[in-house]
Amino acid sequence: MLVTFYLNDVEVTYNVRPGEYLAESLRNHGVKSVKVGCNESTCGSCTLLVDGKPMMSCSLLTASIEGKHIITIEGIQEEAAKISTYFAKQGADQCGFCNVGFALVIYALKKEYKDPTTEEIKNYIVGNLCRCSGLQSHLKAIKAYLKGE
Amino acid sequence: MKVNEYYRASSIEDAYLKLQENPKNVILAGGLWIKKIGQDCNALVDLSTLGLNKISETKDEVIVGSMVTQRDFENSPLIRSLFNDSIAFAVREVMGVNFRNIATVGGSIMGRYPFSDVICGLLPYHVTLEFYPKQTMSLEEYLEYKGKLNAILVSIHIKKEKGRGFFKKVKITALDFPIVNFAVSKVNGKYSIVVGARPMVAALAKKAMEYINSLSKISELDYKKAAEIAAEELSYLDNKDSSKEYRIDLTKVYVARGLKEVSK
Repeated sequence: MLVTFYLNDVEVTYNVRPGEYLAESLRNHGVKSVKVGCNESTCGSCTLLVDGKPMMSCSLLTASIEGKHIITIEGIQEEAAKISTYFAKQGADQCGFCNVGFALVIYALKKEYKDPTTEEIKNYIVGNLCRCSGLQSHLKAIKAYLKGE
Repeated sequence: MKVNEYYRASSIEDAYLKLQENPKNVILAGGLWIKKIGQDCNALVDLSTLGLNKISETKDEVIVGSMVTQRDFENSPLIRSLFNDSIAFAVREVMGVNFRNIATVGGSIMGRYPFSDVICGLLPYHVTLEFYPKQTMSLEEYLEYKGKLNAILVSIHIKKEKGRGFFKKVKITALDFPIVNFAVSKVNGKYSIVVGARPMVAALAKKAMEYINSLSKISELDYKKAAEIAAEELSYLDNKDSSKEYRIDLTKVYVARGLKEVSK
């Protein structure tokens, strides 16, 4: 079936199976920045923005995004570069597999909250797992990024 | 997961008719459970264009469309204003934001999942479900309904009342299903006690409620006594996450704590 949507503001039409998930569709079309970790709606590596909201693309049916706006890491390159600088400063960067999903979820957090509390930040990023670290360095990096320090 | 057709319903009636065509046609709520279990379907019936994603209010009720995402639900000022934020708090305990932006309130209710924090969080209150074809049922009646209800959930009606709520989910890690979950309320002077994920779908501890509601003066010992009754009257089982005994011990602690909390 054909599904038309906006990928980083560019209209695209994909031919997909009715039961196909967005992460698979995007990767089949060369968007390899979308990382599938657990493929079980848990780890958040595959997170991207759908109409501005972070969602797990491994668990979102491609057919359900007809007409919607999808933002991948390519769509927020400038912010992603900033976020990665903060990550590097805190040593939060390790294998890098979860970074793409993290950057998108942090970007969405910044858009949604003006001045989030630590609890609100934790609640927002809890669905993104880093398998290398204990997430403390991530939290420090995110706080610094939000404050623009 | 095999799916033969993705069907965008043009109206609720259209969705219902499509559902009748084949026993393997299913309503797509958020789609996370069918993904998890890899359920094969004939047609997935999409309700997303039917305007069921809104939360509104009347003088007496907050009305939640069945397709409202769990994230929109937990953030809604209308939901947050109910029972000191305890219903929204329960939903906030479900996985991460990127999950709750997909999962719907209606999906969690219709599945009657044993692990549902949504059901547990709502059950202490006066909650009515409205279906198509036209039929209403309390949440409790739906949980007790035998077999599969051949109807589509349209909206969830939460009665506006003054009172306090408590919710606790016990889990091994932040993104886990509950080992057991609890919701306790005191509304119009009456207590309600719910224990879920035992690991069966949430249920009211009616004998414990009857006990505590019959007392004219309540002491801390009565909270403990009511918690013990709840631990005794409901059925509990072992599974890979927890033993039956641990669930019972947790009930004795958290029901008493919940009763104390809502009595403040």
